[in-house]
Amino acid sequence: MRDGLLDPRAVLLHESAADRDAAIRRCGQALVDVGAVAPSYVEAMLERERTISTYVGEGVAIPHGTAASKEDVERDAICVVRFPGGVDWDGEPVTLCVGIAAAGDGHVPLLAALADILLDPDRARTLREATEVSQVIKELS
Amino acid sequence: MAIDSKDIHKIIVACDAGMGSSVMLASTLKKQLKGTGVTVEHTPVNSIPEDADVVVCHTGLAARAKAAAPGKPLVSFQIFLGDPAVTKLVNTIKNGGTVDA
Repeated sequence: MRDGLLDPRAVLLHESAADRDAAIRRCGQALVDVGAVAPSYVEAMLERERTISTYVGEGVAIPHGTAASKEDVERDAICVVRFPGGVDWDGEPVTLCVGIAAAGDGHVPLLAALADILLDPDRARTLREATEVSQVIKELS
Repeated sequence: MAIDSKDIHKIIVACDAGMGSSVMLASTLKKQLKGTGVTVEHTPVNSIPEDADVVVCHTGLAARAKAAAPGKPLVSFQIFLGDPAVTKLVNTIKNGGTVDA
């Protein structure tokens, strides 16, 4: 994996959120905190979600911004935020969010790895239930 | 629009930002179509290239994709991974037949 794409400080495994928007804000804040995006990117993530859900299956959503919000991206980065209590994502229960900030293609290999994991229910469960940061980074590398 | 599977050389997965789900689906499709000679790329919905033979996108983007790439066969899906419409497209390309979409 490219250095700096998934900062260990952007892997948060014991979060809770009252609803979908709160979960997206938490993901956005994680990306802001590692210096990947400007704060305005978080609003673009909410806007994008209202257009089409980023739920991808297996209890996982991948919130990200709009095409226009690429201007707010400082560098390609990913955050992984786990909500053990679950979040109602338009009727789907989500326990893991993979938040994306990308102006280029630096994050593509990580998303390809994520797609492979989600097509394998056993690996998807391992990722959803991970409690160690190092374990998450290993799974997605 | 209908196209014979042997005339399919390039599939475009279109997304709003070309940043998230389309990337995942494109990488999965690429793997499934390995060895068939079909290339798979992902682009924002407003920049679908002229040489795309089939466009794949979420149902929520289908109207925009149709307007952006008129006259191209369009396969729309609702589930990002494992949608029956996408599985059907892969099987048609592998086994031969017509993509009517």
